[in-house]
Amino acid sequence: MTDPLDLSPEDANETLAAEYVLGVLALDDRLAVQDRIKADRDFASCIAKWESHFADLNDNFAAVPAPDLMQQIEGRIFGQQETKRRNWWGFILGAGVAAAIAVAALVIIPSPAAPEFVATLQGEGQPLVVAASYADGVVTLVRSAGPEAEAGRVYELWLIDGDKAPVSLGLIDAASVERPVANMPEGAILAISLEPAGGSTTGAPTGPVLITGVVAAI
Amino acid sequence: MTDDPVAQLLAKVALQDRIAFRQLYSSTSSKLFGVLLRILVNRAEAEDALQEVFTRVWLRAGRFDPEKGRAMTWLISVARNHAIDRLRTRVEPTAVIGDEADALMDAAPGAEAKLVAKDQARRIVDCMAALDADRAKAVQGAYLGGLSYVDLAQKFDVPLNTMRTWLRRSLLQLKECLEK
Repeated sequence: MTDPLDLSPEDANETLAAEYVLGVLALDDRLAVQDRIKADRDFASCIAKWESHFADLNDNFAAVPAPDLMQQIEGRIFGQQETKRRNWWGFILGAGVAAAIAVAALVIIPSPAAPEFVATLQGEGQPLVVAASYADGVVTLVRSAGPEAEAGRVYELWLIDGDKAPVSLGLIDAASVERPVANMPEGAILAISLEPAGGSTTGAPTGPVLITGVVAAI
Repeated sequence: MTDDPVAQLLAKVALQDRIAFRQLYSSTSSKLFGVLLRILVNRAEAEDALQEVFTRVWLRAGRFDPEKGRAMTWLISVARNHAIDRLRTRVEPTAVIGDEADALMDAAPGAEAKLVAKDQARRIVDCMAALDADRAKAVQGAYLGGLSYVDLAQKFDVPLNTMRTWLRRSLLQLKECLEK
């Protein structure tokens, strides 16, 4: 692509991000940009910036009543789960956290009481990894990789048991914490979200869910 | 955060809350369907795309950060990106290049130029108004109608490279204006 504009590297990045958000690029170029978004945090922010600039044009998209496609959508997402409910991997794939879990290895944390359940919490593209173990009514969490929450924000732990509403298990304010939990059902999901200092005030996560893991018996 | 009910639904969806997912569909599917239909034009394809978009939303809900923007903006980005990827995957030249594209780009230009005033919602519109009319039209046609460089070059009857230079210059001009 000869470019008579002769852009500086910075401007070349800017225009590429804007071209991507605008949507004018050919497929190959779009795919290359999508790869770069995953690998280059600064470039990803540049994309986000252009998305918010152009978002003001979104009012021009007129809403059009959509047919109810929920059944088909749930079929796509949960199809596997309905047929293989007892299959652990089927459940995870069905639950849609495959990316987070596919590479999960169970980490056994030595503790005075032998743990009954363990989980490794991680997420795609997330440096944060937390190992959880449960024994005698106490869940122990150890941050095995990744940074502390950024200033003014805090990690909050959630337990999701099946279709029930998430339950907060409190803030993760140290590299290692213990929390009493009456019941830790096998197959439940542990998740950590990023919340404002003091934690969520709504009873449900308000910030991005960074990492998740499935509780498994050992 | 609490003033963005869609963001609250998304946060629950990130935790695999299926009821919240249905509520999210009820409250946002019309807008997203409107986006998909405008870009893809074909209704059956837009319906298929809508299923794919909501599948992705279920899988990616955890990546949405309410500190960085509104949930509806994030959802529309997911829908637009998917629709444009689909368009670019089509082998045959898009059917919309001719009259339909003109219709898309020319329909009620007044209405599109005059956006509803909302908080700081005017900036891109103000900055686009400072561009040459043709260039503003090209930017708008790309964003709203999913036109590619190739489509735009045909539409404005200029060589592809000229179109690129044109548009990049316009984008840099927009950047300067937006970040002033």
